[in-house]
Amino acid sequence: MNAPVLPPKLPGVANKLKSTRKAGKLVNEYWEMVWRAKEEGKLVCWYEGSAINPFLEAADIVWVHGEAYSAMLAARHQEGPAQAAAEARGYMQELCSYARTHLGCAVSNQRNRNDADAGFTDIPEDDDIAARLPAPDMIISAYAYCSTGQQWDEMTSRLFGKKIPIFNVSIPWIWASGKDAGYCRGTEWEETSGYVARQLEDMVKFIEERTGKPYPWDRLRWLMSNVKRASELRLEAMDMCTATPAPASFFDWVVSIAPINQLPCNESIVDYFTSVRDEVAERVRTGEGAVPREKYRLFFDGIMNWNKVGWLAEKFARYDATVVAGRYTHMAFWQEPDLIDANNPVLGMAQNYLICPNNHSSPILVDLIMGLCSKYQVDGMVIHASRTCRAFTNPQFLIADAASKRLGIQTSMFEGDVVDESFYKDELVNTRVEAMLEAIDARRLSAA
Amino acid sequence: MTFSDTLARFSEVSADPLGYARAWKARTGRSVIGSFPMNFPSEMVHAAGALPLIIQEDDAPITVGHGLLYPFYCGYTRSAVDQAAKGDLAVLDAIMFGDHCVQLLGAADAVRVALPDTRVIFFQLISSMCDPWTFGRARESFQKLRTELEDFLEHPVEDAALVASIALFNHNRTLIRQLYTMRVEGRIVLTAAQMQSIVKSSMVMDKQEHTALLETLLAEAAASQPAKPGEGPIRVHLSGHFCQAPKPELLNMFEECGAVVVGDDLYHGFRYISTDVPEGIDPMDGLARWYMDRNTGVPCPTRVQNNVDWDAFLIEAMRKERAEGMIVLMAKFCEPHMYYYPEVKEAFERANVPHLLIETEHEGMALEYMRTRVESFLELVKRRRGVAQPAPVHPVEGEPA
Repeated sequence: MNAPVLPPKLPGVANKLKSTRKAGKLVNEYWEMVWRAKEEGKLVCWYEGSAINPFLEAADIVWVHGEAYSAMLAARHQEGPAQAAAEARGYMQELCSYARTHLGCAVSNQRNRNDADAGFTDIPEDDDIAARLPAPDMIISAYAYCSTGQQWDEMTSRLFGKKIPIFNVSIPWIWASGKDAGYCRGTEWEETSGYVARQLEDMVKFIEERTGKPYPWDRLRWLMSNVKRASELRLEAMDMCTATPAPASFFDWVVSIAPINQLPCNESIVDYFTSVRDEVAERVRTGEGAVPREKYRLFFDGIMNWNKVGWLAEKFARYDATVVAGRYTHMAFWQEPDLIDANNPVLGMAQNYLICPNNHSSPILVDLIMGLCSKYQVDGMVIHASRTCRAFTNPQFLIADAASKRLGIQTSMFEGDVVDESFYKDELVNTRVEAMLEAIDARRLSAA
Repeated sequence: MTFSDTLARFSEVSADPLGYARAWKARTGRSVIGSFPMNFPSEMVHAAGALPLIIQEDDAPITVGHGLLYPFYCGYTRSAVDQAAKGDLAVLDAIMFGDHCVQLLGAADAVRVALPDTRVIFFQLISSMCDPWTFGRARESFQKLRTELEDFLEHPVEDAALVASIALFNHNRTLIRQLYTMRVEGRIVLTAAQMQSIVKSSMVMDKQEHTALLETLLAEAAASQPAKPGEGPIRVHLSGHFCQAPKPELLNMFEECGAVVVGDDLYHGFRYISTDVPEGIDPMDGLARWYMDRNTGVPCPTRVQNNVDWDAFLIEAMRKERAEGMIVLMAKFCEPHMYYYPEVKEAFERANVPHLLIETEHEGMALEYMRTRVESFLELVKRRRGVAQPAPVHPVEGEPA
């Protein structure tokens, strides 16, 4: 039998921010806290979509964000058992893979519990982290834009025999109706902001019923002051990436999603983004780039492919291409800190939930993306057509069209997925990205 | 008009809904307002003097629409976008909707770009059905849609006109439900494709005209001998297929294989006509009530309602219809259906009720391959006749059954 011929392992090219290494430690500590929750007698809430975690953290409830759990499994290449469990129950591959993976965890959880009740010994091995997800004591659904989120939560509730209390927050899509419609303005914006805020107030009552205690508003105010500051620091650092070469890339901001979106909202997230901001500033001062020989600057449209974060960071760096900004990272996650009044945070929280990167229809969304492309002076746009995340793929043809017609920049689409690796075809990505970069070269030559 | 002439007219309109709309518009000179499925109250548009038309999936292969929406979307959304991009929807003066399936939102955004001269009106309906504020929010959403409609048409929708439209629509639904009852009882012979054309044409035609045809059909219906249990074709319930109508050739194939469809919960079927708008109350209250009642009447996986079970509804519906098996029609890429299907599958396995899942696609359905599966399924169901069935199985929750 011939020995397989493996490609030589090349040294890494992507010059990642050193400060983001702390994110890994913080993330691990957070998940350890989640896995210990039942031993410590804590209530556990499952939720998807909007970052309602400060509401839960304030009430000393352990929060588990479904997408984050699925992304964590995929990033560790441990999504397989959960996806297999979901498939065995009948969830089809075309279903949102975030949901499918998370529901697979729920299926495993239920199966293991039932097996244990029956005296079976088929208990998960310690390294099966899909099965370590603690069962929920409550579910809160607060999903902007994507109908799948609410249905996913409903099915989770049914998987647990409808015995888990569930609360739904309805977050309407901003359709941009009326002459005064726009980003964070207009009658529609004001009306929906108030509607969501009122539901959040009711959600707090639901939390009080679960804990049996008055809601600790002071603690929420303190947590939100940290969120606001962390968000300001993050945006400040992002703004510095207009420099050439860009000191940080889209992939650094992907790694920094967990600290802003789901980690405990204490001083550690402020410290984290202070370090990131300082390192980015230092790189700007010394002219150090996220990609050593930055030749191209790209925009990334679409959600992250969590199986391939490091892989894609390295791939683009090898093409001397800095992916300098993206819809996922630069239009989401407490993106408008100025709207948050830490002393009276509910309305601002509602408004930040409303401006998730998909919750504005194309007239507003496309304008925002074109604005980012101009701000970061990109040469091209790479579009990740995430097979099972239609929330992100919905406007992509309209975005590509606008990029070409309004900005005259190249675009390139590739198919992949959020956490199902089987949809990703590496050679297709290579071919399409190379074609786009060649087109950029040709345009530069003709302009010279 | 004879029984068969009436059915032929329904079938003709079903096959070319936009052709009907163009002719109606030319004849009346009035506006045609399209809507996306499944919960927009067309009564409002009718009361405004316009023709409400629920936009239908077209049989044509997707071409231009490929440039606006990916191929991994359901056939309905891709077809709607394709029709818009080709200019087929130009007959519509406006499009209105309140449902927020994520694929539909993508399609609506693309349609708005493809039809810059057509006003597209949206206000999101609440889909969480048992919150204390569901009724109020549903009413508010319908009121917003009404206000925008009035703004577009530049005249008010009078309450009295809305009350009259509600009565007309209720009457139309009642007549179609009579046909359903007669079919279950074996008092009328209607193929599944014929029943579909009756419902689908109701989504398109002037309601008064459609109602008059229904009255003719009922008057002409010749009673046929009810089939005796245990004899004749296999009694089947069809489930699923929400926004788009299953292709008639698929429905015909079921019957060719030895099935008779005795009931369904298809959108182009009983789901559409299941529920009346309460009368004798404020009409906007009535519409909001109707919206909520629909989901308790025929539960829909596009809504979330923890105290209502679609699977339990299906088992009960089949009991009433004396259906022997259920064929689930799932439109490829339909996420709400994909979410709920495991619940239905497990419930049916526990109840020991046979069912067959068929996934449908906009293009390229392998009908002969499906035929083999349907024949095998019907054969299995037939062999159960007169045979005592084992007690229902209760698999461990979460285990593959």
